[in-house]
Amino acid sequence: MIHLRLPGTLRYRDLAVRVVAAACKLVGKDGDLQKPERAFDDEVVSAFSEAWNNIAIHSYHDQPLGEVQIEIEPDHDQIWIRIQDFGASFEPARVPAPDLEALPESGLGLYIMRSFMDDVTYQPGRPNVLTLTKRLPDRVRSAGRAAGVSRRGDRKK
Amino acid sequence: MTFSRKDNGEETVLAIEGALDAVTAPDLRPTLDALVAEKRRKIVVDLSALRLIDSSGVGAIVALFKRIKAQGGLVQVAGLRDQPLAIFRLLRLDRVFTS
Repeated sequence: MIHLRLPGTLRYRDLAVRVVAAACKLVGKDGDLQKPERAFDDEVVSAFSEAWNNIAIHSYHDQPLGEVQIEIEPDHDQIWIRIQDFGASFEPARVPAPDLEALPESGLGLYIMRSFMDDVTYQPGRPNVLTLTKRLPDRVRSAGRAAGVSRRGDRKK
Repeated sequence: MTFSRKDNGEETVLAIEGALDAVTAPDLRPTLDALVAEKRRKIVVDLSALRLIDSSGVGAIVALFKRIKAQGGLVQVAGLRDQPLAIFRLLRLDRVFTS
């Protein structure tokens, strides 16, 4: 498990993103599983970037500087990320899906997260807890099982 | 993020390198505003050296597209690859900017 604690500002965004990108490279590296697609890393990084933006720009907007606590668990067939902040909460259900035909200039962050990750959960409170999970494509996991890589099962938190 | 602007007649090539995101997009705004103010007819945004883009960066390019189009001009995006290409495809912008 990778633990990271950073101030929740845009100044630290690049550092956090680079750690997540590095963690992505650990997924599928145990056993014979091979993660062939750069797309996996790109999509996780994209989703995490939007999560960080939401915290820095919205959650801690007009509030004292707060901390972001990040846990990252790169597994043999998935990556799991938990992000906790202590700023303002929001209701994901109240965030409308963007009308892509209208070429929106904002309001895309949650859509990107949901589109690129397999599971996105958000629990408002103190702290707000956002979890992002992305699994390797089935064909990659199947190939790994065929090669004898045991599956530990999906994390339940 | 670094960027360069090259004008050749009615066409402008705006090349953006590195990361275009919530941190860096504001640095690009004055240049985008200038392109609009000058009523440039055709703008090619070269993203071949762009490593990362987020929704803020996309918003900056989409805003440029809308403003230039409203003036009768054209904005195209070239060189999309890797993470920026994934974002543009997800948001169905690859067709908008490359057609």
